Amino acid sequence: MSSVEDIPPEGSDLALRLLRSRNTMIGGTIVGAVLIVAIFAPWLAPYDPTEVNILDNWRPPGGAHLLGTDELGRDVLSRLVSGARVSMLVALTVLAMTMTIGVAAGMIAGWYRGWRDGLIMRTVDVIFAFPEVIVAILVAAVMGPGTATVIVALSLVWWPGIARLARSLVLQVKTETYVEAALACATPTWRIMLRHLLPNIAAPLMIRASLGVGLIIMAEATLSFLGIGVQEPRPTWGGMIRDGLPHLRSDPHLALSASLALGITMIGFNLLGDGLRDVLDPRARR
Amino acid sequence: MLNYSLRRLAALGLVWAVAVLVTFFAVRLVPGDPVMMMLGDQSGNAELAARLRADYGLDQPWWTQLLTYLGGIADGSFGLSYRYVGSTVFDVISGGLRITPVLALIALALAVPLGVGLGILAATRAGSWTDTGVILFLVTGISIPGFALASLLVWLFAVKLALLPVAGWGRPDQLVLPILVLVIPPMAVVARLTRTYMLEVLERDFIRTARAKGVRERLVIWRHALGNTLVPLLTSIGIIFGGLLSGAFVVETIFNIPGLGRIAIDSVLARDYPVTMSIVLLFTAIFTLVNLAVDLLYGVVDPRIRLAGDTA
Repeated sequence: MSSVEDIPPEGSDLALRLLRSRNTMIGGTIVGAVLIVAIFAPWLAPYDPTEVNILDNWRPPGGAHLLGTDELGRDVLSRLVSGARVSMLVALTVLAMTMTIGVAAGMIAGWYRGWRDGLIMRTVDVIFAFPEVIVAILVAAVMGPGTATVIVALSLVWWPGIARLARSLVLQVKTETYVEAALACATPTWRIMLRHLLPNIAAPLMIRASLGVGLIIMAEATLSFLGIGVQEPRPTWGGMIRDGLPHLRSDPHLALSASLALGITMIGFNLLGDGLRDVLDPRARR
Repeated sequence: MLNYSLRRLAALGLVWAVAVLVTFFAVRLVPGDPVMMMLGDQSGNAELAARLRADYGLDQPWWTQLLTYLGGIADGSFGLSYRYVGSTVFDVISGGLRITPVLALIALALAVPLGVGLGILAATRAGSWTDTGVILFLVTGISIPGFALASLLVWLFAVKLALLPVAGWGRPDQLVLPILVLVIPPMAVVARLTRTYMLEVLERDFIRTARAKGVRERLVIWRHALGNTLVPLLTSIGIIFGGLLSGAFVVETIFNIPGLGRIAIDSVLARDYPVTMSIVLLFTAIFTLVNLAVDLLYGVVDPRIRLAGDTA
């Protein structure tokens, strides 16, 4: 392997490689489509996803309701479309919380070292020792099932990973000359952190965060499926699969449409993640 | 090595202590009086309320309650259930104890060899149609959540083809779909890792040496390459086990299997906190023990890791 290969790609070269990567393109297209559906859900959904119409229930796909209706006569397509929005909103909230807590904790640990580092990183180790679903069960037991439970449980599980990454990045960056220069100018610590450290560790953190969105959506769907996540009447894919399963014999479109939507979305996120990793990490490329 | 093991054991003790304290105080953080909940429509009966309060030790100061809690963990009864008044937590979960570990072990026993086989198949035919086919299958297997996969499989095998029962527990044919749903995701993870490690190992010098001195290709793959692939694969067993735990929750919910996962979800919805917390403790204990075993085993198999771990 030549040393030239190890140099990270610049601007146009990177864009070209992204375009050439089949995984990135297919995954990116799927994720992009889901994002557009999520953003424009209120305008795309043909009906109100929560509107109950008992006289019109158990409709098979076709006619006025493209994907039929459920046991309360709610339009399945509208619920599917709105479900994408709910999932994405939960995922972005969790992402914002984990990034804020994780980056702050990781930067403090990496910058100060000493007892703060010990305290934060031992906490991280302890949280890592718990299985994810168990943390969710614990939070659900205390807070009761609901959207807030999902957000708290997933944030609790996800910030330690971000904190570890932020800490290791700060440890790399803090010996750079520009940090020394800032210290020599008696720059306040908060200013060094926000103006000198943060911009220089932001890129890998953003990549890590974007790769996490798919996993968060999957975790949210699982909790909603188990009945301890987002609750009725708010539509979620996990909840729709849960409600549709008992009627798989008579009305398979209920569970199957949500399963396919969730499955294809997850394949999209995974392909995009794999593709980005291949393109951005030249050493992993073969 | 001894030093490293002792430090890991101390860390394990810390995690368990945190788990015990968190579960204990979490229950007391929840608003509402458990005795009133147990009484239901008898809530006006002050005498009964006082008796229940005494039976459950809820009239004691918190540190006495903590000692009782620890005693319950030590003797295996795990205290009393709120939902089934008078029953110990052990009585409530004992049925699940005979189901979930069995399911997880069967799934692990199938997923690892099948995944390794698939990974080798793909790696030795890298770039071919077989490889592409396997990769497509793996991406699908890793991506699709268990319950989405389950609804597709149940619809296909139980409804359309009418080959297998939709749900239930007790007969062998009722095991097929749950095990399938439980096996596919970890199998896909193992296969993907095996393929990656295998491709890496196959480019090493000792493989070239083995081939150059005329070792048969089958031996090169199964002896030289696989041996070196299994070592990094070992670390992923912990992650796979964690996946199997959440898989158990999902599969038991879908197929109506009275395992620990189902009992945990039911107890959350019924606010039977002692049962929920005991299952949380059990799963945490198993998960941390598996991870410890994997790490120690890894140190035995690969001395480089042990050295790195000692200086960290």
